[in-house]
Amino acid sequence: MATPSNIVATERRGIPSASFVEDVQTYLTQLGLDVNSALAFLQESWIEQQKENPKIFAVCLVRNFCRLQQYKMVEMKLLAQQRDLQAKIPDIEKCLDVVATLQAKKGTGEALIADFEMSEGIYSRARIEDADSVCLWLGANVMLEYSCEEATTLLEKNLENAKASLEVLVADLQFLRDQVTITQVTIARVYNWDVHQRRIRQSASPSDSISAAAASDAGLTDLKPPCYTPYLAAQKLA
Amino acid sequence: MVSVRHMHGTLGLGKRDVEHADSVTAEGGIVAETNENFEDASNELILTDEEVVRFQIGEVFAHVPREEVESRIDQMKETTDRNLEKLEQEKEMILAQMAELKKILYGKFKDSINLEED
Repeated sequence: MATPSNIVATERRGIPSASFVEDVQTYLTQLGLDVNSALAFLQESWIEQQKENPKIFAVCLVRNFCRLQQYKMVEMKLLAQQRDLQAKIPDIEKCLDVVATLQAKKGTGEALIADFEMSEGIYSRARIEDADSVCLWLGANVMLEYSCEEATTLLEKNLENAKASLEVLVADLQFLRDQVTITQVTIARVYNWDVHQRRIRQSASPSDSISAAAASDAGLTDLKPPCYTPYLAAQKLA
Repeated sequence: MVSVRHMHGTLGLGKRDVEHADSVTAEGGIVAETNENFEDASNELILTDEEVVRFQIGEVFAHVPREEVESRIDQMKETTDRNLEKLEQEKEMILAQMAELKKILYGKFKDSINLEED
């Protein structure tokens, strides 16, 4: 279980997958080519490309950040769905219980006496004689009468569906969390790579003023929360 | 060079495991609470002298003879006990996985990594 899977689905039920970046340099160059071809730029010289690098780096970070926001939205939606399902399942189980009790009583022939809530704090007694059929609330102001067996079948089917959906949802959430992790790692590594590059550039030619650095520095200091330190350390060790 | 992809893989799994462990612990808490409720209910049952007990089924309270209520509560207790056991097993498995991953990561990074939950 410690080996990562090498087979990554390109997307899962509408959630785009984040591909893991093996080498930051090639990733940025590729991104640079994409961006530049989109802008119909002709990058002839390598120096030109180096000057463009800060811009590409900023574009890449922005893209990944947007991806991250998208993932967060999807996660909120999935969590809400999960909460709904988790509330629905005990409900269905309760209904199944009641129907089962009614069926059991039907056999004995005696009536079932029950206290039920009429209103908040007010209860009333009901006497339920031989129950041949039950009415089930299907939603959308619709209630249907079923025989006890049919009702049991329907409720059991609903319960199965709800449980299956919940499982799929949980798997989706796990997949989503993985993609979020990958995206966060990519952001951290691209940022580190840029810092690294800048250091090299400054040591190589101290006269070069890197004015475009303003774009990348602004508002990115919050990209190094504690969870990224392993990745920073890995870069140093690499 | 440290294989970043492998490290990412283990860290990704680790993060997933932590969250899974949290949710399993939360579930276990709820199940334990339900068990406690059953204990209280059966105690109350022993103390009462009424013959017919109002037993909650779904949203209504059905009038049920005492013995039946007793057997029902016992049944429900058994189910929750089994659930609890299953959850405990799952938790053990996840914690073992996490410990293994931690070992690997500490081995690679020694001091430059912090995996404790604050």
